[in-house]
Amino acid sequence: MTIGTGTSANTGTSANGGPDAAAWRTRDIVVAAVIGVAFGVAFVAFGVAWRAIEFLGPAQNILYGAWLMPAIVAALIIRKPGAALFAEMVAAGLATLLGSQWGPDTLLSGFVQGAAAELVFAFGMYRRWSFPIVVLASLASAAAAWVHDWVVWYAASSFEAVAVIGVFMAISAIAILPVGSIRLVSALRSAGVLGGFPD
Amino acid sequence: MMVRVDPTDDQLASPLGRVSPLLKLAIAGAWFVGLFLTTEILPALALAGIAVGASLVLGYVPAGTLGRGLAPLWIAALAVGLFNGLFSPLNSDPALHELAIIGPFRLTEPGVIAGVGLASRVLAIAAIGVLFAQTTDATRLVDSLVQQGRVPERFGYGALAAYQAVPRFAEDLSTLRQARRIRGLRSSWHPRLLVGLLVLAIRHADRLALAMDARGFGTGPRSRYRPMHWGLIDLGAGAGAAVVLAIVVVLPRVT
Repeated sequence: MTIGTGTSANTGTSANGGPDAAAWRTRDIVVAAVIGVAFGVAFVAFGVAWRAIEFLGPAQNILYGAWLMPAIVAALIIRKPGAALFAEMVAAGLATLLGSQWGPDTLLSGFVQGAAAELVFAFGMYRRWSFPIVVLASLASAAAAWVHDWVVWYAASSFEAVAVIGVFMAISAIAILPVGSIRLVSALRSAGVLGGFPD
Repeated sequence: MMVRVDPTDDQLASPLGRVSPLLKLAIAGAWFVGLFLTTEILPALALAGIAVGASLVLGYVPAGTLGRGLAPLWIAALAVGLFNGLFSPLNSDPALHELAIIGPFRLTEPGVIAGVGLASRVLAIAAIGVLFAQTTDATRLVDSLVQQGRVPERFGYGALAAYQAVPRFAEDLSTLRQARRIRGLRSSWHPRLLVGLLVLAIRHADRLALAMDARGFGTGPRSRYRPMHWGLIDLGAGAGAAVVLAIVVVLPRVT
């Protein structure tokens, strides 16, 4: 990064669509990273719960949306290109370092999940943050995760069985993830910690 | 709340600890591709065994640490194995000899073998994960990603700055849980904890970003405190990993 863009990135006040709306301030980077790290820490606890409901079989995936949350939440807060992917990768990287049971495959999961959500927000030119687009991004993220899990974990299963998992993941991505993410962001906003970020 | 115990200095100074983290990730990626190309049991178990052996011998990972890392795994392996075994499309092939009928499920030998194969895959991936996590610390990982992998440095070191706050977040989380308990709320785990955790985390991030900006973070060319160089040990690790992959995955297909 050159001195010029670095300075403008740090002082850029154009949070709402000015010329350097896409440039990341230091605060954007650190807040997005911290969201990823906080979710990574929460994932350690959630991972224990996830194992505890392994006996539910495919229905377990009704909670799958939780794994996709850092991407959606960070994108909703930072609203800059790459926020979804960056936060999800930080969360996945932390989980890998903490010794996730899925090992470095967590990084691959995080990448496809974050990238899929990112793609949808990019289609909205990072200007559209309505409920439908959040649902769409959640669905895309879950779809990418589903394909990944199919190839990696359910490679020997019949399509019907994998499709049932997909249905549960889709329900999670439509009914739980967008509402949960939006409510989380608005709770943070009313707590007053999101001053300086676009509304 | 589990706070991470970093790999010991011993582990980080081991041969595997000195291999570039980026290269270790690349090796893990190549081994994954090898694993994904087969659902057979033997290649996956062989890779798992080699990863465990390498952790012990070349990574100086204590057997107890390794065991604790792999212990919770049997649940995931069992779940994945059962799912694939029960729902294998081979089970509905009438030409195949059936092993058992459990309720609505008909089990055939190839179906069960496929299930065990996928369970072995879980073991292999987790063993590679323990090897990586127990011989890599976050600082070296980011140094390597930025200097050897061309990850943008503001993002790499920004993430590292956030990572340093992990013990603080773990502490925050236990404080928040205690606060719930004091207020007489029964379950101390609740999704609302996430709101409190993130409020504290973002406040911390704001202060951190201010401090980093004050020091001119990302405003000019960055000097290196810990330069990363490719070395002979990387060459050795890469070559060794390629040979292992070739023997384990390619050979059974040729013969």
